[in-house]
Amino acid sequence: MTIRDRTAIIGVGTSRFSKAPTETPMRLAAQAFKSALADGGVSRDEVDGLVINIGWPLGVDYDRFAEALGLRIRFADQSWTHGRFVGPTLQHAAMAVATGLARCVACVCGVSFIQERGLLGGPGDFEGTREEGGTHEENPVYGLTAPAAGAALSVQRYFALYGATSAELGAVPIAFRKHAALNPAAIMRSPLTLEDHQASRFVVEPLHLFDCCLVSDGAAVVLVTSAERARDGARTPVFIAGMQGMRAGPDEFLFATPGLGIGQQREFRYTPTEEQLSVYRMAGVTQKDVDALYTYDAFSPLVWFVLERFGFCGLGEAAAWTQKGRIELHGELPMNTSGGLLSEAHVSGWNSIAEIVRQLRGDCGERQVRGARVMQWATAWGDSTIFHS
Amino acid sequence: MTAYGKPLPRITPDNRPFWDATRRHELALQRCAECRRFRYPPAPVCTECLSERVEWVAVSGRGTVSTFVVFHHRYFPSFAADLPYNVVQVQLDEGPRLTANLVNVPNAEITIGMRVEVVFDDVTPEVSLPRFRRATT
Repeated sequence: MTIRDRTAIIGVGTSRFSKAPTETPMRLAAQAFKSALADGGVSRDEVDGLVINIGWPLGVDYDRFAEALGLRIRFADQSWTHGRFVGPTLQHAAMAVATGLARCVACVCGVSFIQERGLLGGPGDFEGTREEGGTHEENPVYGLTAPAAGAALSVQRYFALYGATSAELGAVPIAFRKHAALNPAAIMRSPLTLEDHQASRFVVEPLHLFDCCLVSDGAAVVLVTSAERARDGARTPVFIAGMQGMRAGPDEFLFATPGLGIGQQREFRYTPTEEQLSVYRMAGVTQKDVDALYTYDAFSPLVWFVLERFGFCGLGEAAAWTQKGRIELHGELPMNTSGGLLSEAHVSGWNSIAEIVRQLRGDCGERQVRGARVMQWATAWGDSTIFHS
Repeated sequence: MTAYGKPLPRITPDNRPFWDATRRHELALQRCAECRRFRYPPAPVCTECLSERVEWVAVSGRGTVSTFVVFHHRYFPSFAADLPYNVVQVQLDEGPRLTANLVNVPNAEITIGMRVEVVFDDVTPEVSLPRFRRATT
């Protein structure tokens, strides 16, 4: 039994994205939810599932959201408050629908990173004091804090192993800024040059300011239902064709390809096998069929790592591979066409899921990927979901 | 002397022998008594064979910088005077990697592959932190 094409996204909604704290996460999430219902032609009472990956203190929790929006939920789930769970959360929604635990699941993300920016590093980095170290290798005893540090540890070693440079890394935020310029909802729309990137201050060296995502507020809601129901919806359905889960274990460090040797990660030369990329088999496509790739671009190196992890290029090749517009809108593999976390907004990656839906419906105007049929969400930590229209 | 204002390690039943050893200016790691593999961070079972039989063994304190970063952004007020400060990961000759600071080396001279050795910093009467310096031999 496979889940291929048994579920689909029927509606999406987003709030306004902002760098100034304007609204509470609950208010933003409520706006996005109502907008998703209207978009999909779905009634509130049809929603009987609710999944959330970013809860308190950054975002809205499932219990309060269901109460506040008057939802009668029979499948609720909420993961650890980390953006890495975007993919797994969406997958839980699809699995709940496919197994009959729910008819229509709302994936809800309403976040205020601005109000809670203290959690992102420094004295508020409570997770960093975990006995075994923080989840991005944080160790406040030595001043090692903030998710950016994890990406910096990885890319420093990557630079040394493969001779890559910060200037090459600049191609990533520059590409996504070009996409944001074509997206009226994006927060950062002014052009970014390589000189700007190189001249920007270091946050955690070797990461420059423009290698780090926005700290912003916003909400996005995605409604997942059965393929049959979605075909009767108001809009073109976007089918969930394949998925594979998030990886963990001694070969893994969240912000690196397997084998890089960060933290206690085992060192070896990673070459993905068909088994490790089973998402393509489930979806019945290959990398060549993917019209655009979307990833959790909290920090620019994560874009290189996902390309290598999923075999779009070989190990150590992503730095050269991402040059000359290859990941830009009219390149060979457009990535994060809304501007991503680096330039659109940090809605924990749900803004990119919303973008996939809008692209596959052909709604994206100036930034439309022409003839788009197949799009992929994939992360440096190995989860992936493939969609088609 | 002013009080030490930086974060201190969270000492637990699993990691107490590590911090007891650093107070004696020794670096000690857990080694599986079945398969002889060193492990870090401290854990109740061996990652390889799941054995609970463990011994704490003093190690060389020597290793190689496997990666490093330099903090420029002020996250901790208590580290403000140190900016820009480094954090290194050191692959010990025995296998596991430790996170610490590299002392007495200008940030611009830190390289991956650099040989280093442990030193101990008595930051409070109860806690001595291992850090690293350039290897002297």
